[in-house]
Order: sequence, then structure tokens, then C-alpha cells
Amino acid sequence: MTLRHKYSKILFTNKSEGNLPQLIIAENENLQSKFVVQKILELREQGTHLEEIAVLFRSSFLSFDLEIELAKANISFRKYGGFKFIETAHVKDMIAYLRVLENPRDVVAWNRILLLVDGVGPRSAEKIIEDILHRRADTSISDFWKDFNRYPHSVTELFELLKSISTDKFPPAEKASRIITYYHPMMKKKFDDHTKRKKDLEMFEQIAERYKDVGSFLTDLALEPPNESIADIEAVDRDDEHLTLSTIHSAKGLEWHSVFIIYALDGRFPTMYAANNVEELEEERRLMYVACTRAKENLFITYPINIYDRESGTILTKPSRFLEGLNDKLLEPWVVDEEG
Amino acid sequence: MKKYTIKKPAGGLHIVHPQKFQIDYKNELNKAQYDAVTSINDPHLIIAGAGTGKTRTIVYRVAYLVELGVKPEHILLLTFTRKAAQEMLRRASILLDHRCERVSGGTFHSFSNSILRKYSNLIGYERNFTILDQGDAEDVMNLIRTRLKFDTRERRFPRKETLYDLYSRSINTKASLTEILTIDYQHYLEDEQDIRKVHELYTEYKITHNTMDYDDLLLNFNKLLKQNEPVRAETSNHFKYIMVDEYQDTNKLQAEMVKLLTYKHQNIMVVGDDSQAIYAFRGATIRNILDFPDDFPGCNVIKLEENYRSTQSILNVANEILKRAID
Repeated sequence: MTLRHKYSKILFTNKSEGNLPQLIIAENENLQSKFVVQKILELREQGTHLEEIAVLFRSSFLSFDLEIELAKANISFRKYGGFKFIETAHVKDMIAYLRVLENPRDVVAWNRILLLVDGVGPRSAEKIIEDILHRRADTSISDFWKDFNRYPHSVTELFELLKSISTDKFPPAEKASRIITYYHPMMKKKFDDHTKRKKDLEMFEQIAERYKDVGSFLTDLALEPPNESIADIEAVDRDDEHLTLSTIHSAKGLEWHSVFIIYALDGRFPTMYAANNVEELEEERRLMYVACTRAKENLFITYPINIYDRESGTILTKPSRFLEGLNDKLLEPWVVDEEG
Repeated sequence: MKKYTIKKPAGGLHIVHPQKFQIDYKNELNKAQYDAVTSINDPHLIIAGAGTGKTRTIVYRVAYLVELGVKPEHILLLTFTRKAAQEMLRRASILLDHRCERVSGGTFHSFSNSILRKYSNLIGYERNFTILDQGDAEDVMNLIRTRLKFDTRERRFPRKETLYDLYSRSINTKASLTEILTIDYQHYLEDEQDIRKVHELYTEYKITHNTMDYDDLLLNFNKLLKQNEPVRAETSNHFKYIMVDEYQDTNKLQAEMVKLLTYKHQNIMVVGDDSQAIYAFRGATIRNILDFPDDFPGCNVIKLEENYRSTQSILNVANEILKRAID
């Protein structure tokens, strides 16, 4: 399919010519990371705050090696794109409790919290849910939570909790807090890293403080989830400056004084997948365009060579096809050289 | 006996003499931005290149509308994230005054949600419906898959993630299941009828349990407005001036929403950049922005090309990357 028309435009500015953007080859991935770290430190010495610098990449996993090098160099960073707070299992558990309070017919949520109860497997969960739905199909929400005593003790306990917090007298944060107390022992059993996760739940309670009713809290969580798990925030001292690592998708609309685009390697950006399809390839090109136009003063595009691609069984060595053959006077070619 | 009251003429704007404006729009904006800000009635498409002051333009236009006497509640600003809408309205409030905070703003999903909470009974939902995220939706698919005993068959049957992906894409892109299977899942073409069965049960399930997934928020909004002329008229009459940001990353359902919302008037301004469309993998289609002039005949196109962000050297590389695009 060809596009019937596009809106042609050529961007211009009254700002100065500025430094030429650079295209930098590194012999391997780690050399790429080390170069980026060194350049960031240099920029910082020259007066560019870490806040004003971003490293962008096509896919979230492409920054793993760099993250290790940054940690070694004691450079704080925040990463955007990839896993989100709301997608973690323990936060999803919390949400499920609140959801059955709000909508007692929400079977997915019921299933989730019943399976957490000691001694309840998929089959008994289904039975309990059926019972809940049939016996109480017509009762109003306020009557719904009364008289649950025919279940095993561990299940009754869950209902006791839900009943006790079903009243509108408690604000969402209070409800969350009581659920956390109930949930904590289960979390300890379920996850090895439960101390870290506990902090996420504290954060959850803190977010709940902002709401007057559970319904709007749930709606916001579903539609506008908070961006990051505390696991990401923890690495950063709040007063301290930090660098931004981001997928290009998450960098949409933002700008920085200096921008690095790493892994501008054909097969990674564009991805192998996209190379077979004109439409997808054009979307990758636009992604490169978006990445470049995030930069105000400095643009460094790097790529490692000698990267083995498991899926195709080939070694990737070429720069992104969107950049290959660009005039040296537009994009200066450089090679990372290791000294000493 | 007849009772006589007086009221303001419907939809009428105050005629404000340019010199009476609080803000000096002409001096604070460049020519293209000024044209965009002061184009009020009828459809407008603003092609805003990277760093060309798109947000500034939207902020000033909100202020301009309010200065003209449009009630803030009658202005709707739809953005890619809710944070973006809040930020723009906050800036408009600083620029003009606190009236701008009363402008309705949010994402397509949050806007749909707010309307659906009002009228959900008209489409068979209770007001306290809960929202399934992608993981939940996949779990429901799995439940149905097991219930239909597709998990114990000799042949490989699509996994829950695939079942949901197929479902969501057929809704978002409005393509038929057959089409999607033919393009991406040839090996499941034989199972089409069974996949369809899972999807049917999934749809029923959501209604029975008073839940909606993300796509439903948009789908049900369109259904509500299509099936109920009074609600359609009321909603369209209420939101008299509509602006959509990042139009290049909207999907087909969202384009349909825009049409329904503007059916009583054509006061719609969409802002975007076809060169920055990067969300096809989530069902967005660049066609929306490319076809906008056809969908809204008489549409006026304004291009913002002066960049305030980058040095010319950086723009030269960016322009060159686009120039080599395959048409």
C-alpha cells in the first residue's frame, strides 16, 4: 500500500548551526556503553546537568549493559518504558481486592483473590464464585457482604475483611491499609523479594490517599497508571540529579539538551521483524525521526558491531539503514578507540 | 399563563474587538501559530512538526476560545495522556485566568469513561462497572478457553495472549478476524470458528459481570451515541469546540468518536504530525490524519514548520531521514 498523500514539511530554525551530530561505531556492546558513560561525565563537567541528558533506544532490553556501566560510574538514572508499577503481581492483587468491593460481580478479581487464600485451588474458587453469583445476584451492594459463614475458615476470614471495609465510612486509603495488613503474610509466602514489594504497597496506599472513593481510584489506576515501580525510584536519591533512559516511544513529546541514541544497528533499529514489511519499516523510520528531534544541542548516535542475532543466525555489523550513506557533512562518522 | 424569561442566544459568541483581548496573540505567536489559534469554527488540521510549538498553540487556542466567550465547559481537549491535558490547561490558566481550568480535558478513554458512567444503563451496564486491563482480559480468555475444552485438544490452539490480541486488533482496526489471521496467523486459519466462539463468549462474559476492557470504553461510547439520538445530540451540543492532540496516533474507534462528537457542528481541530506516527503496534492508524481532509470536507490545513528546539545541524539530519521515506 502506498500512502495517497503525505504532508510535506521541512523544519527550519533561527537557532545557530550548532555542533554536527555524530555517528559513532563501537567494536562491541560494552565499548558502546563505556563510551556513552564517559561522554555523559564529560558533558556534566562542561555544565550540562544529568537532567538535561537522555539515552534513547528502540527496545527496553537494549539498555541493560549500559545500566550496569552507569551504576559502576555512580550515575543515577530513571528508566521509562518497559514494566510498569501496575503490572506487578502484588499491585494487581491489591487492585483485585478493591475491585470486588466496587463490583461484586467482577469474577476475574474474585478468582485472583480466592486463589491467594490458603487451601483454595482453581476448582473450589470456581465453586465459591458460582455460589456468590447465584445466591446474591439480586442483592444490593450494601447487603452483599452480610452472612458469609458456610465457607472454610480461611475463606470466611477473607469475607470478614471485605465486609468490614465495604462501608463507605472508610476512605480508600484506609481500605487499602487494612487489605495490606491482611495480605502481607500471603505476600511473604508468595515472593522472595517481599520486602521490596512491601514498599510498592506503601506507595499504593499513599496514592490512595488522594482519592475520596474507590471507584475513581480504580478508574484512574486502570486508565492512567503511575509510571514506575519503587524498584526504579529507589536507586535515586530524590534531591540528586538523574539521567533519563527511555524507549523512544516513551520519549514522545519530550526534549533534552543532549541526546544519545544507542544501538542504531540494522537488525535492532529497525528490528529484524520490521525489515520485511514496508509499512513497519516506515514506522521505524518515523521512530528514528522522533528520536533525533528530541535533541536541542547535541545528538550522538552510536552502534556496536559484531552483535550476534540468534534468530537469523547472522552477525549484525551495519548502521541503521535510515542513517547509512548519509552525507559526512550532515552526520560525522567516528570510531570509539580504546586507549591505555 | 405564559411565563417569560430571558436567556442568552444559544451558541452565540461575544463579539470581542481584537484590542480588547487580554493577550496579544499576534505578537506572542508566529504567523502559522496565530492562524491556528484564531481559526475557530469548522474543521481544521494542524500539521505540527517536532518542536514547532504545538503545545503552545493549543494552550493559546484554549485561552482564545475562552476570551471569545465560549463557556469553558463547552470546550473539550483530548490528549494522548491525561497528564498532557492537565499540563496544557494549567498553562492556559496561567496565561489567561482560572476559567481555563474548567475546560474538559483528558484521554479518549477517560472521556469515554466519564460519559459511560452517566448513561451505562442505556447499553446494559451498571454504573459501577469495573475496567479490565490487558492481563485481566487475557485471564478471562483463558477461562473460556478451558471451559470450552480447547486446552486439551490434539492440535495447538492459540494461547490466551494471542486470543486477546486477535480480539483487540479486530476491534481497534475494524478488520475482520479472517483478515488478521490471514496476515499474521496463517496456521490458525483452520481454527477460525472456534476462535470466534471464544470471542463471543468473552463479549457475553463482560456484560454478565459488569466489566469493560479498554477497547470497550471506546466501543461502548460509540455504541451509546449511535443508538441514542438524544444522547448523541446532547453530547455534541455540549462539547461545541473540540480539540484533539497527537491525532497521528489515534485508532479507528477514536476517529469514529470524533465524528459522533461533532455531528451537531463541525468545530473540530486536530493537531498532529504524520511523520511522528509510531503507535501502529497498538492499533493506531496513520490513515486518520492523512484522511482527515476527506472525512471533514472543507477542512483547513495549517502547517507549523518553524522549530524552536533544535539546532539547524540536528534538523538537517532529521529532515534527511524523512526525505528518504518510501512512498
